[in-house]
Amino acid sequence: MIRLGNVLVSPGEGGVYGERTLDGYRVWDPYRSKLAALYTLGGGLDLTPGMRVLYLGAANGTTVSHVADYVETVYAVEFAPRPMQDLLEVARRRKNIVPIMADANRPEEYAPFMEAVDLVYQDVAQPNQVEIAEQNLAFLKPGGHLILMLKTRSVDVRRDPEEVFAEARAGLEQHLDVVDVRWLEPYHHDHAAIVCVRRGSLY
Amino acid sequence: MLQRYWFGDVDEQGCRAAGTDPAALAGRAATLRTGMESYVPIDWEIARDCGVVRTRAEYVDLLRSVCTTLAREKIARSYQARDVELLQMVRMLDELDNVINLLQERAAEWYQVTNPSFSRKYRSLPARKMLDLIRRGARGGLLDVSGEIERLTGTRSRLMREVSARADEVLPNTSALIGGLVAARLLSRAGGLSALARMPGSTIQVLGSERALFSHLRGGTPPPKHGIIFQHRRVHNAPREVRGRVARVLAAKLAIAARLDYYRGEAVPEFLNAAQARIDEAGVTA
Repeated sequence: MIRLGNVLVSPGEGGVYGERTLDGYRVWDPYRSKLAALYTLGGGLDLTPGMRVLYLGAANGTTVSHVADYVETVYAVEFAPRPMQDLLEVARRRKNIVPIMADANRPEEYAPFMEAVDLVYQDVAQPNQVEIAEQNLAFLKPGGHLILMLKTRSVDVRRDPEEVFAEARAGLEQHLDVVDVRWLEPYHHDHAAIVCVRRGSLY
Repeated sequence: MLQRYWFGDVDEQGCRAAGTDPAALAGRAATLRTGMESYVPIDWEIARDCGVVRTRAEYVDLLRSVCTTLAREKIARSYQARDVELLQMVRMLDELDNVINLLQERAAEWYQVTNPSFSRKYRSLPARKMLDLIRRGARGGLLDVSGEIERLTGTRSRLMREVSARADEVLPNTSALIGGLVAARLLSRAGGLSALARMPGSTIQVLGSERALFSHLRGGTPPPKHGIIFQHRRVHNAPREVRGRVARVLAAKLAIAARLDYYRGEAVPEFLNAAQARIDEAGVTA
């Protein structure tokens, strides 16, 4: 990951959402992007130029644009029409984004477009976030990583975030090895980043 | 095992390409049904060996145009639904209400300081009459602003009639039970007709009182009895001791009405008569 001093940045064409630039790099704000928060807190898994990424919950494409600055190809999945309009515009200017309008709950809808990826990044506000991750493992290479941004409030607002997290972790561990866990305080409240590896050797 | 991908079909015999025209590929891709049990992700080199593309860059490029075409079609389709514009209309209406109220309050304050002997006490001065008064007595900026408020108020009334009429058309059963305007507000809060039709009555009952509801769920405070549906006279005119019951019965009938609106799209008189009777019954005090 590229840092200028303490500031996380990405290389690429600026002006996507009014982000600041620094020495020609785009500033990637941890308060706006949960993935940036994870990297700023010292966690995560470095994005490398050869990577292929499946991004679930692409929304307006702001974080997607930063990921696309680092990796080879991003498959960006988003369900809602309004943010999809913005995502299409971002994808028009960044040639390595494949914009897919589909429900992450229904991977069979976009399976005909998918190749195996090195990283699945998931940031969706759904109660069944762990189940969605499991369904999308069909696209993850053995040895590939999953970064799940667990929105504990979307799972159940009434329950203690730690409890929701423990249950999610147990669910993920049936198929994956959890290698890193971070709460995204002070940037995002009640959000945990869970980094996992799919069992089996790489290639 | 046959795999059906966006660029063609692949099996043990080899690969049958589906052409290179993005629009045709998009049309074909929309019809593909994939079973995940036997699914194998794409190896892009098959597309190359199949003659669809020559390089990785070409592969991603063609895939992008197919997916973009599909996404644009899906967006257009989702905006065609009859409830989508009603949603924006009712939100604009509520926003206009806010703006008009704010401007009216401020104009009244301004008018008071230009007229030291003026007081609203002991006078029946609803906002509308107050505005007339200001327009007669004011000059300059205040006069301009009160003219604008007048115009906005006209816009608001026309929009309100439009909302009611559109709600009667999109939500015939729900509107018949609770009035077009309140029905449209329920729709707006739910986020669309398909969402409203999937809601249980208990959720419809408290739509619009999310703050009170979540404060209750977190513990301590009493649960809300009603949200948006309180705006209907049957709920707010009901005697206090039966108001909760009226809200509950009404919400239960609204849940059925929303499903009728979504799945049939026309008024169902037998249901409406029975529902009206049942709601009236709930409002009777023992």
